[in-house]
Amino acid sequence: MDQVKFDISLIEYGFFISAILVIMIGLYGAMVKKSLIKIVIGLSILESGVNLLLITIAYVQGGTAPIFSPGLLKDMPLTVENIKALGAGMVDPVPQALVLTAIVIGFGVTAVALALVIRLYRHHHTLVIDEIKNLKW
Amino acid sequence: MVGSPVLFVAIPLLTAFLIPLFAYIWKELVRIIPGIVILYLLVLSVSLYGQVLREGTIVEQIAGWAPPWGINLVFSPFTGLLSTLMLFMAFIIWMYSYRFKNIDFEPSKKYFILLLMLVTGSIGIVLTGDIFNQFVFIEIMSISGYGLTAFYVGRDSAEASFKYLIMGSISSMFLLLAIILIYSQLGTLNMADIASKAHLMKPEFKILALIFFILGLGIEAEIFPLNGWAPDVYSQAPGPIGAAFSGIVVKAGIYALIRVIYTLFDVEGSLQFLVIIGMITLIIAEMAAIRQDKIKRMLAYSSIGQMGLVLVAFGIGTHEGVFAALFLMVSHALIKPLLFLSGSYLVFNSTEKSIKELNGLGKFMPLTSFLFALGAIAIVGLPPLSGFWAKWSVLTAAANSGMLLVIGLVLAISIVEIVYYFRVVNRIYFFKKEESVVPKIPTINAKFAMVILAVIIVAIGFYPDLITSYLHEASETLLDKGNYIQNILSVAQQVTQ
Repeated sequence: MDQVKFDISLIEYGFFISAILVIMIGLYGAMVKKSLIKIVIGLSILESGVNLLLITIAYVQGGTAPIFSPGLLKDMPLTVENIKALGAGMVDPVPQALVLTAIVIGFGVTAVALALVIRLYRHHHTLVIDEIKNLKW
Repeated sequence: MVGSPVLFVAIPLLTAFLIPLFAYIWKELVRIIPGIVILYLLVLSVSLYGQVLREGTIVEQIAGWAPPWGINLVFSPFTGLLSTLMLFMAFIIWMYSYRFKNIDFEPSKKYFILLLMLVTGSIGIVLTGDIFNQFVFIEIMSISGYGLTAFYVGRDSAEASFKYLIMGSISSMFLLLAIILIYSQLGTLNMADIASKAHLMKPEFKILALIFFILGLGIEAEIFPLNGWAPDVYSQAPGPIGAAFSGIVVKAGIYALIRVIYTLFDVEGSLQFLVIIGMITLIIAEMAAIRQDKIKRMLAYSSIGQMGLVLVAFGIGTHEGVFAALFLMVSHALIKPLLFLSGSYLVFNSTEKSIKELNGLGKFMPLTSFLFALGAIAIVGLPPLSGFWAKWSVLTAAANSGMLLVIGLVLAISIVEIVYYFRVVNRIYFFKKEESVVPKIPTINAKFAMVILAVIIVAIGFYPDLITSYLHEASETLLDKGNYIQNILSVAQQVTQ
């Protein structure tokens, strides 16, 4: 039993570590790369990392989908304690709702960024950020 | 009840998306409808503000979900003041840009859609009582900001916009990280609930969340290391949008930062941090402003500097300090748009948009030049205009708290400001006009918008009592954290009983 529990917590830590790793990769891409397209890709990766982290904090070991219906109670009486006990076995729904919103926002930002990249390319005929500096950085 | 705070978000958002449909009916509706909507919201905001001052804060629950579970909008004397100010500025900007894009129909449609979205986002940031909701509004505001910055195809606007987008979206990810951290520790997203439970959070997580918040919100508030976008955006965006950034967007950013520091967490030393970061912002921005040869970049750096001063005043932390900061915010929100609006007519036909090209325009564009000079006098803080009283209140607040360094800095910075603003005014009035520059007479609605701003600046200058009582009320509300928590969470208790 202990062995199984250890494995599950390892998976959970794995999610955390990989989410932070993805965030780091995204930050690297957005801040260090010189190509406009790679910067946009970096931003996308950064967003995915944050979304993964957001989903991970909602994780409950062996949790079910957070949909409550009276049928779940089976023969138990409808008391506050029973409902709470059922809720403890469910995944937290709030971060999932937040992630949906964050994904949509990320989509919008990426679309605007790519539109700007197209305009920059038409204006300067290059995607290298060092060659686009009419404005002082 | 004249209306509910939810209308401030719902109506402009709905109108923004309906504008393309209005365009099918009559093309002129594209320009008229946003003005009507903003005017209606301004009247609503003023009347709600009056009601709030008489009867206390309004807490609006969305869809009947009581806080801390649902999203709530808070219309208090503090947020009401800011939303009224923002809607007023939005109305002035609408009036100014009514004929601005007369040539083409398609750009004006997009312009007004994005302007309405910008206003929605800014007012949402101020009114909401939920941190994730605030994040969404910040994204609405900044995405429409990216679009508006890249409005002119001919200039280097795409470059400025892309720079703003990269910084803006990285910082918004930090904001999301801060929200995740708080949610994982406290299990709530409601600001009042977070404020009441903040002592349960481990101190190291609290500091980390605060750092993420400052990284995430500092970009809109233009604090020192995060304001690299501002000069480019202000100089490449259309003139009225520069005014909208300095009058509306930055105020929303400052509000969000102040809400986090004053209400969400009371981490020891965060006020001192505000003073230090504000002073660094102020010094660096004013030093950069004096070196600029493009007028809008100069105004942008001056705007950053003023925001630094606002943060210093908030960092004093006493009632007087908050009062001074709010006075400075209101007065800056009136003066800087006036400078941007008149300045963008002064450089309307010039190619470089540089200060040299303003030479001798005083004779050819008398009203615009006069308004620019008035704005310059007001912002450096010479009596008897509103900027003087704002700086004076900062000085008295600093003196009463024994912060002599702040006093010395504000006085020294005022001299720097006088140097670079009066250099421009001097060129406008006392230099010989260059042959290549063709003066541009403003349209009648633009003149009207600028004159309204100028009249208000002069009126506040002669009768500061016009607004001081409101500002006192607002600063009282901001400092009274217990009352804020109680106002919101008492709604929840009524429901459970």
